Amino acid sequence: MDFIYLVFSSFSLLADPVNFTYVILGFVIGTIFAAIPGLTATLAMALLLPLTYSLSVETALMACASIYMAGMCGGSITATTINIPGAPSSMMTALDGYPMQRQGKGALALGHAALGSMFGGAVGALLLIAVAPFVAELSLLVKTTGKFSLLAFALIVVVIAQRGRIPQAGLAACIGLMLATVGLDAMEPITRFTYGYSSLTAGIDLMPVIIGTFAIAEVMTQASARIDISAATEAVKKVKIRRRDFLPPLADIRKIGFGCYFKSCLIGYFVGTLPGAGGSMGSFLAYTETVRTSSEPETFGRGNPQGIAASESANNAVCGGAMVPMLTFGIPGDPITAIMLGVLVINGIQPGPQLMSDQAGLIAPMLAALLFSAVVLIPLTLWMIGPYFIKIVSVRKDVLYAVIALLAVVGSYVATYSTFQMFMALGMGVLAFYLRRNGFPVITMLLGYILGPNLEEFLRRSLALSNGDPTTFFTNPDSLFFVALTLVFVYFLVIRKPAQAPVAAKAD
Amino acid sequence: MLLNRQMVFLYVTLAVSVGYLITALSLGAPIADSGLTPAFFPTLVGAMAIVFCSILIVQALRAKPEQDTAPSSDEGGSYTHLWVVAAIFLYIVAFKPLGYFLSSSLFVFALILLFSTLEKLVIKAAIAVAIVAVAYVMFQQLFGVRLPTLWG
Repeated sequence: MDFIYLVFSSFSLLADPVNFTYVILGFVIGTIFAAIPGLTATLAMALLLPLTYSLSVETALMACASIYMAGMCGGSITATTINIPGAPSSMMTALDGYPMQRQGKGALALGHAALGSMFGGAVGALLLIAVAPFVAELSLLVKTTGKFSLLAFALIVVVIAQRGRIPQAGLAACIGLMLATVGLDAMEPITRFTYGYSSLTAGIDLMPVIIGTFAIAEVMTQASARIDISAATEAVKKVKIRRRDFLPPLADIRKIGFGCYFKSCLIGYFVGTLPGAGGSMGSFLAYTETVRTSSEPETFGRGNPQGIAASESANNAVCGGAMVPMLTFGIPGDPITAIMLGVLVINGIQPGPQLMSDQAGLIAPMLAALLFSAVVLIPLTLWMIGPYFIKIVSVRKDVLYAVIALLAVVGSYVATYSTFQMFMALGMGVLAFYLRRNGFPVITMLLGYILGPNLEEFLRRSLALSNGDPTTFFTNPDSLFFVALTLVFVYFLVIRKPAQAPVAAKAD
Repeated sequence: MLLNRQMVFLYVTLAVSVGYLITALSLGAPIADSGLTPAFFPTLVGAMAIVFCSILIVQALRAKPEQDTAPSSDEGGSYTHLWVVAAIFLYIVAFKPLGYFLSSSLFVFALILLFSTLEKLVIKAAIAVAIVAVAYVMFQQLFGVRLPTLWG
């Protein structure tokens, strides 16, 4: 209860002009990046990561929370109006949103999307606020062997969740683990894989990895693909949106039903807690569940607002779910929570079981900002700038990517004032570009890199404690629990024939 | 096809993985006195990477010829990404010697040209300078980051 009280009292921090400005700016930037096809909120956060050096941790985390929430709902704008989802998580929204647009109900579809996002974001954030302290207390029961099994579980699930390309995901995870082993060994004074470069002694910094993987690789991808958006730009010119049409009638909301909203939120939230699943998987599962239980399934895909509500409720509820493992165990569920973890790490804060008890004061404002973004900023942004937002699709791509490249390269200089980190970011960008180009999921590489040091340390500590006896992983109850959980996931995701995954879920 | 783009990537990754494993083994015995040494984990990771690489290479070699020869979406297309890499590399090299303003203006101008056409050069140059100035204000004035300048 103390934590819940702390979160709600943290709303007062939003009254601070600096915090408020960053939360609003974060939300607007997140929405812009999510709405432009090809850009993502992950990229926005990667670019803003260097700037967190000059902000307080609370302010940086609050801005991250608002970008995250905006990133999940911003993609619905272009998905609905021009049938091009700005973000993969809005793929399912386009199925019913665009038909509504063609029927002249585009603004109403956006209103339903915003309502679903608002509901999903709020339920996800409230569940996170209620559940996270208990999970953190439970996580204190997990000892060294259990921690290794938990990290191994997270990494294995991220790999096997990439259905149809498990060897690629496995190799990408190995590359991430390789990167994590560079530098000074955690337990003995030995340097590894530095090849004589003293700059590598401290290991590969998180900042160039994130900037390279998400920003530089993205600029290279866009340069390579040269996506033609002239059709989208033309389509935008024909779209007319009026504010008064945004508000969904009460009869529509009643028809969708509270049960549909809430069930989709729960699906999104629980999908979010799984490493590597993400918003697109959450919205896909919620959408298919809504179609399956509907009395008129034939209306879906033809402009049924229930489809929009299910998809958007679920993908915004993912935000709350994905933060549970990140805050309680230090395991990020998706790229955005990986960057949030980076914000904590570069400020000297170690996520994990102790975080919620020892430094709850840093985490509570972030959760307050997440809830504020869902309940206030989603509807407010749509109301205030919704009619003009669609125009951002027409932004000049040459200028846009030049700005992204400049912010990325200079941003990687900020951490250490060293050009070595800039070269490192370029190297990581090239690596990530070729991984993506050859169908390797970059998220598994990132998780391998993030989880690698702890995975190795807990493995070695566990075996040192058991005098080298590997059966310790099966005789300790906490470890056995995660081993059993891993086997359950292997059964459902690999052995048992899986359900058809959405195309969007396969994208990074 | 033994040497298409994906195969080259896999061969390079395999070579890197083998090099990594050899370096890991050169760190010493993976297990000593019933405990794991700093060589154990990298040895395990290197071996797993080689296994995954081998699986992917075998899968690619076994793939039907028509799958091999089917053009990918961007095959034969733009190599602009390589120019982007070259531009970033040169920018980093010039960043401290030329200072933030000159190196960044040239870099942004080059990037704008790479993503557009060689028309309206004066306007694009002006946009590049404006972007660099705004970014300077953001980094140096707003966030207190010291950027290198020609005047020290």
